[in-house]
Amino acid sequence: MKNKTISVRVSLGEYGLDAVRYAAHASSGAAHVFIKLAGSGAALVEFSPTGSVPAKKIAAAFRSELAEEKLRAAIYAANRELRDFMILKALSKEEAPVPAPQDDSGLTPEQEKELDALIAQVESEIKQEAAAGAAGDPLGITRTWEDKYGAKKSRKKN
Amino acid sequence: MAQKKAAKKTSAAAAVPPQLFWRREGADFLVTNDFGHYAWLKKKDFDALAAGKVGEKHPLFAGLSAKGFVRDRLDFDSLAAKWRSKNAYLNTGPGLHILVLTLKCNHKCLYCQAAAGGAGARDTDMTPATARACVDFAFKSSNPGITIEFQGGEPLLNWPALVAAVKHARSRAKAAGKELKLALVSNFSLMTEEKARFLMEHEVSVCTSLDGPADLHNKNRCFSGGNSHAVTLKWLKYFQKKNADQPAGIRVFKPSALLTVSRYSLSRHKEIIDEYVKAGLEDIFIRPLAPIGYARNLWDKIGYEAGDFAAFYLKSLDYILKLNRSGVVLKEKMASMMLDKIINSRDPGYLDARCPCGAAIGQIAYNYNGDLYTCDEGRMVGWEGDEVFKVGNVFRDSYRKVMASDATRACVVSSNLEAQPDCARCVYKPYCGVCPVYNYEVQGSLWGDMASNDRCGLFKGIFGALFARLKGPGSEALLKKWVEK
Amino acid sequence: MSDKVKKDGGLRLDAAVYSGEALKLAAFVFSDRVSVTLKPAKGGFEVLFKNAAPGFAPGDYLNEALNQQCRLDLAGKNSKAAGMIATKALLSAAGSARKKK
Repeated sequence: MKNKTISVRVSLGEYGLDAVRYAAHASSGAAHVFIKLAGSGAALVEFSPTGSVPAKKIAAAFRSELAEEKLRAAIYAANRELRDFMILKALSKEEAPVPAPQDDSGLTPEQEKELDALIAQVESEIKQEAAAGAAGDPLGITRTWEDKYGAKKSRKKN
Repeated sequence: MAQKKAAKKTSAAAAVPPQLFWRREGADFLVTNDFGHYAWLKKKDFDALAAGKVGEKHPLFAGLSAKGFVRDRLDFDSLAAKWRSKNAYLNTGPGLHILVLTLKCNHKCLYCQAAAGGAGARDTDMTPATARACVDFAFKSSNPGITIEFQGGEPLLNWPALVAAVKHARSRAKAAGKELKLALVSNFSLMTEEKARFLMEHEVSVCTSLDGPADLHNKNRCFSGGNSHAVTLKWLKYFQKKNADQPAGIRVFKPSALLTVSRYSLSRHKEIIDEYVKAGLEDIFIRPLAPIGYARNLWDKIGYEAGDFAAFYLKSLDYILKLNRSGVVLKEKMASMMLDKIINSRDPGYLDARCPCGAAIGQIAYNYNGDLYTCDEGRMVGWEGDEVFKVGNVFRDSYRKVMASDATRACVVSSNLEAQPDCARCVYKPYCGVCPVYNYEVQGSLWGDMASNDRCGLFKGIFGALFARLKGPGSEALLKKWVEK
Repeated sequence: MSDKVKKDGGLRLDAAVYSGEALKLAAFVFSDRVSVTLKPAKGGFEVLFKNAAPGFAPGDYLNEALNQQCRLDLAGKNSKAAGMIATKALLSAAGSARKKK
């Protein structure tokens, strides 16, 4: 018996469109997925099963994934800068110099120049970002509580 | 009093956890982070972590903060060092150089992805001059360690090129001051004492295929010249004895074997593993079949679903652990490599599971005619008439040009897990990788679609099995022993 | 959706959900199986399929379009981290020292 198409209505006020798209995509291994806007502030997600997983189960998995994606997006947004900082820090450490490959370049002089310029530009950008960010602590996480908020004021003791 | 207030302030400030990945497994949650740390949590602890409410008084605070799961307690230097160690391959160029000495082969393996021609096939032998040029190219890599692996077809069918490459590589290594490893992947059917002596004297390690007991091995690996299984075991024993004896002045490596799982293997995991134990092997590399090259044409006959392989793998892993408990020394190679990342934050050199993948920047495949490809699988796609994974030619293109080629850059970009929508969110992301060649062959684009990607399903099955076993103290101890430093 | 769309026919998609770029990328992925034409329509696009190969399903194309859109969504947020890693990998592979003038 053919699995029927099932539709799930999602409030875009509660979940961003990005989250709806990803949660729907996560279920696309088991179904054909179609998303359309439904009036103002809502989206309709249609699942047409392509295998043996019933449509209701796919819809349930979608709802669950939607909730997870909402949490994931919040955590990601809160940590994006920190994460970029950590990757830059990890990549920026000076490594022992690697011996240059013996140069027998088959490139034309113009191509060599272009490649050198591109490499120089990218390396310069990485070094600039490293100097600005990697040694620092852009989110102030390593600062102590006292540094952040000043000396402890006298409080009523218990 | 001051301590109490400071703790209060800390827990209020830490309202968000640092970046983490998670997956629900029954009643528990597996969490991981970019640095490769992991933890199993009960729901209530996961909820607390996700809400940023794991404060100093939480029973799991010490363990979670040490692993970088508490935002206010991040040891930047230590975590950055861990990330660097796990991703050490980002600092060097290709270390693995696969020389396809010939496309001729005297076997007709069911699943052969090598696009091998018969033993009489013409014009598919690498000349000694080309072999030496390939070696020269390999030494241009920015990697201080070079591994040259001789493959085919059957590489012993082109002995002159093998000898030329081995001798040239050893002399180049001395001059360049680079660490060199040489490896031969062979079906052993053409091995002789004289050839074996040459290989041992030049410290070439040997690897073969062993698909299980004789009937299964010979069904997968048809050899019209005799009994493939018998000849494989004969030479395995030979090299094992030489390794045990260690003739004076040379270093003889233990021979190793690879298992390729076909549909015929799926119901016979115990027999296959027992065969490896009987053969005196201490490692088994349980490799899934991939629908690339020749195997793609026969997929309806020999292929299987990701779930089938995952079930086979799980049963095999449990059986190996059971054997370990009774004193048998045997490790599964793929698991060992994954565990090295999970437990030791070490780069095991597994080019299939890293970000970006090793295509061109981690390995190069040198075809018999000097054409260069991102990897051996990319070379097989080229053999089918599509040169999308060709990165150059050893005679015409410089090393830098190859590293900057369109194919190299496209593979780097498309295999970057940070840019893959499913992988960027996956709990196994710190340890995994995608294969642009597989994606292209099976799904029509280098990016692929992980939501319906069988290779992804397969890897998730393996990771799931490993992490589940890391939960149990007994099996955890055994698995950790596999990757003891 | 799947009941209404014919293999040789079309469907209407909201541009807010599926960007033109995602649709074009998906069309390229399917170029060996079907000819896809995109036409601007009010608030979105009309996608027309022609000369579909046996086995082609419009739902597969839509799944790919969604896959591409998710990738574009991610790139909008993660391009810095992704770029740093890719750049480092390529520069290291090429060798960090450059030819001396």
